[in-house]
Amino acid sequence: MTTQHSKNDSNEFNQKIIPFLSIIIPGSSQFLFKKNWRGFTIFIFSIISGFLIHWGYDKFNIGKVSINADVSFSWLIFPFLFFYFWNILDAFLIQRDKKSPVLLAFFSIAIILYVIGWSVTGVKLDRLITRFDDAKSVMRKLVNPDFFSTEVDGKIEICSWGCLWDYTAAKFTGAQPPEVFLSTNVGQIFGQKGTVTASSWAVLLGKATKNERIPGFETGKIIETIAIGLLATIFSTILAVPVSFLAAHNIMKRIPGGSIVYYISRTILNIVRAIDTIVWGLIIIVWVGLGSFAGVIALTIHSIAALGKLFSEEIEHIDSGPVEAIEATGGNFYHIVRYAVIPQVIPSFLSYTLLRWDINMRSATVIGFVAGGGIGFFVLETIRMGGYQQYAAALWAIAVVIIVVDYISSKWRFNILKDQPKTAAEIPAWKKIRNVIYVIIGIIVFLYAWEIAKIDLTKLFDPGPTFGRLLKDFVSVDLTGKVIDNVVRELIITIMQAFLATTLGGVLAIPFSFLAAKNLTGKNKFSAWIFYIVRSTFNVLRSIEALLYVAIFVYWVGIGPFAGMLALSVTTFALLGKLFSEAIENIEPGSIEAVNATGANKLQAIVYSIVPQIVPPFLSYLIYQWDINIRMATIIGFAGGGGIGLMLSTFFGSLQYHKAGTVILAIVIVIAIMDFSSAKIREKFV
Amino acid sequence: MLKIENLCKTYPNGTQALNGVSFEVEEGEFLAVIGLSGSGKSTLLRCINRLIEPTSGNIIWNGDDITAATGKEIRNIRRQIGMIFQQFNLVKRSSVNINVLSGRLGYVSTLPSLFHIFSKEDHERVKKTLEMVGLADKIDVRADSLSGGQQQRVGIARALMQEPKMILADEPVASLDPVLAHSILKYLEKLNKEYGMTVICSLHFLDLVHRYATRAIALNEGLLVFEGMPQEIDDAMFKHIYGKEAERIEII
Repeated sequence: MTTQHSKNDSNEFNQKIIPFLSIIIPGSSQFLFKKNWRGFTIFIFSIISGFLIHWGYDKFNIGKVSINADVSFSWLIFPFLFFYFWNILDAFLIQRDKKSPVLLAFFSIAIILYVIGWSVTGVKLDRLITRFDDAKSVMRKLVNPDFFSTEVDGKIEICSWGCLWDYTAAKFTGAQPPEVFLSTNVGQIFGQKGTVTASSWAVLLGKATKNERIPGFETGKIIETIAIGLLATIFSTILAVPVSFLAAHNIMKRIPGGSIVYYISRTILNIVRAIDTIVWGLIIIVWVGLGSFAGVIALTIHSIAALGKLFSEEIEHIDSGPVEAIEATGGNFYHIVRYAVIPQVIPSFLSYTLLRWDINMRSATVIGFVAGGGIGFFVLETIRMGGYQQYAAALWAIAVVIIVVDYISSKWRFNILKDQPKTAAEIPAWKKIRNVIYVIIGIIVFLYAWEIAKIDLTKLFDPGPTFGRLLKDFVSVDLTGKVIDNVVRELIITIMQAFLATTLGGVLAIPFSFLAAKNLTGKNKFSAWIFYIVRSTFNVLRSIEALLYVAIFVYWVGIGPFAGMLALSVTTFALLGKLFSEAIENIEPGSIEAVNATGANKLQAIVYSIVPQIVPPFLSYLIYQWDINIRMATIIGFAGGGGIGLMLSTFFGSLQYHKAGTVILAIVIVIAIMDFSSAKIREKFV
Repeated sequence: MLKIENLCKTYPNGTQALNGVSFEVEEGEFLAVIGLSGSGKSTLLRCINRLIEPTSGNIIWNGDDITAATGKEIRNIRRQIGMIFQQFNLVKRSSVNINVLSGRLGYVSTLPSLFHIFSKEDHERVKKTLEMVGLADKIDVRADSLSGGQQQRVGIARALMQEPKMILADEPVASLDPVLAHSILKYLEKLNKEYGMTVICSLHFLDLVHRYATRAIALNEGLLVFEGMPQEIDDAMFKHIYGKEAERIEII
């Protein structure tokens, strides 16, 4: 009895002492009170914000307040101290079974993060206004793409909308129309007659010699892009299937030593996936040289890792019943895989492949920025020469292709995932013939793509002169203080770009997403128009990669992280706008009805019925977008958007592979941490 | 004859599913295994064909020590033991034909079977077994387009393809309605009586035990608490097996 009593006493004593621990280590007493999440979050954020305040003050004098010549400090200490005292108060309140309001802590941390983010990404709002004329001129060029030309006084000029109007009007009235023809730009994008290097088929048939230039049809850059995306998808799917079995735990634990193989494969997949396609492009061109082949390899490598992960998760989630049944009949390992696993995963594998095709097509439009193939290379050239109307034409072409691909891919995926058993016993003859024709067309398209993407497998065994050095240098990366210092600086800028872009794009997306929700707008003719306009704006903006937008903002606000951040905000706005509006469309009308039935007014209905239903999906999409943006921010620098990408391309360009290796390592670590934490946050809140 | 000696199974999480279970099954018996959910019935059945590794104890079948078998030997033993599952465990997207053929996998060589190539005899056997379970016309349809009762008959056909000497049935009727339950158990009874196969079947309802089993054993928290004729399970024994709070439910 006495021991029991003293135990209680010491417990009570502990309970009293615990809150004081938060004075020494923020979050520690929350942790001891079994509020693990709260304690851990407080701890992490006090470390992060403390470090950022010190770092920002040290490097950029962020928030510097000078009292006299000797004494100065950053005013950001005040929100930090506020957070610190909040944490202590919280600890004491938890002891009394209460909590201090999270919103206050949230605001103090937000002030710190936004002030520092604002400074390091060089946000200059004034430029948006002072240089608005530049923006207007680039916008005018964007809506007047170089598709048609006309001849004025013996000089060839771009035929803009006004000129096309005159032309059409003249046609109708029977007057002499001005001469209008397709620009050479169109030929470069879509293809034109010219001279080409003899194809391997022509060489094989003896109609030309190797590398001979013969008259023929020059492939357009957009066609080349389609070929790159298509081939990368085909190759990566074929290679990802075996890889995914190595990375599926339920399969690998069946064979001796399999668990080790599983952990190794999973780790490799995660590392490969953390490095963006564009960065792979930089590495691959050292191996096989510039060209669309390098682009295909870069896309393939990244998508093997992405598909490999998705496929292996799919394998791990199969129904284990059939596996047990095949095992019980005396089947061996291969029988289990063939009869119990493969039939179950086919639909989801196909659907992921189609999704990947969509993603690869988007990557294929920008891989040319570094690898030198496809429309990305063309865009880079036009920007370099200041040909914004040619650039505009390329963007419009990309938008059309991506929207079509997106449509086909999602339609197809929908049909596959329905996965209805066939009702008709026999396949009619016309369907059989149709299937054969599809297969033939597929083979022809594949061979054609192979030809125009200039796939040359022999190049794989004949690596470039510095490739050996690159491999060696990547093993012994440069970890000297100065390099680390610079990498950390660029990384913080990159993360802040993603952070600002996610919030800016997200905040802008919210009001527009309500306009693009069919259950809110689209009820009468006028609002239906709003619905269609906003939705299509989302779709068009979404179809173009952030990297392609950078040029516009560089023109507007100048080279640097601010331009990159704005480009990321555009894609964020478009994707979140679409996802948010779909979330709104999925609201259950029943609950609105129920709230209305209580006699609530419109505003009350929104607060009590709509808001609770859309907050979880909005948060989930925001985290998803954050994951995307952090990856995109690492490459936005390739087009002049600042951040770590610029540094990486400089190191590659000057053959400093030691340092490039450091950057890649840093990117992998940051992406891994971000992925891990966002997965945890999602688990906790969504 | 199947002889289980002092069988124990402890799962990695510490659960003791079987705690020294010993009993014997004569050839040609229809043995019912009863007990609450979680009493160890499924673990017991899966230890017999080594889908689950027993922690200790011996299983001797016709003189062979099943617990000592390795790799190829296990698979040779398994192919002589058909198994039927509560959730049918068919590959839903595959055709009935392929599902039934997969019962033959323990006999055929690996490479051809990976391309769905089977001998003519095996294809004949599929037709015969499907006729036996009354599904001859369903051979080419996908398994998921069948009803629950039909799917379980495909499960039986798959087990029959193994030409088994013994059948393990793990609550084969627990996912089916009472009428279908009888129809499935009648098939098992037929295999037991006409073909002389030993049947070990876990069941939930005592009526079914009385109606079909020749002998019964009962498990409670991994211990064998009853062994004898089905008729011997009276109300007192019932409470001993299922606990004091239990009430008997009749099904048609």
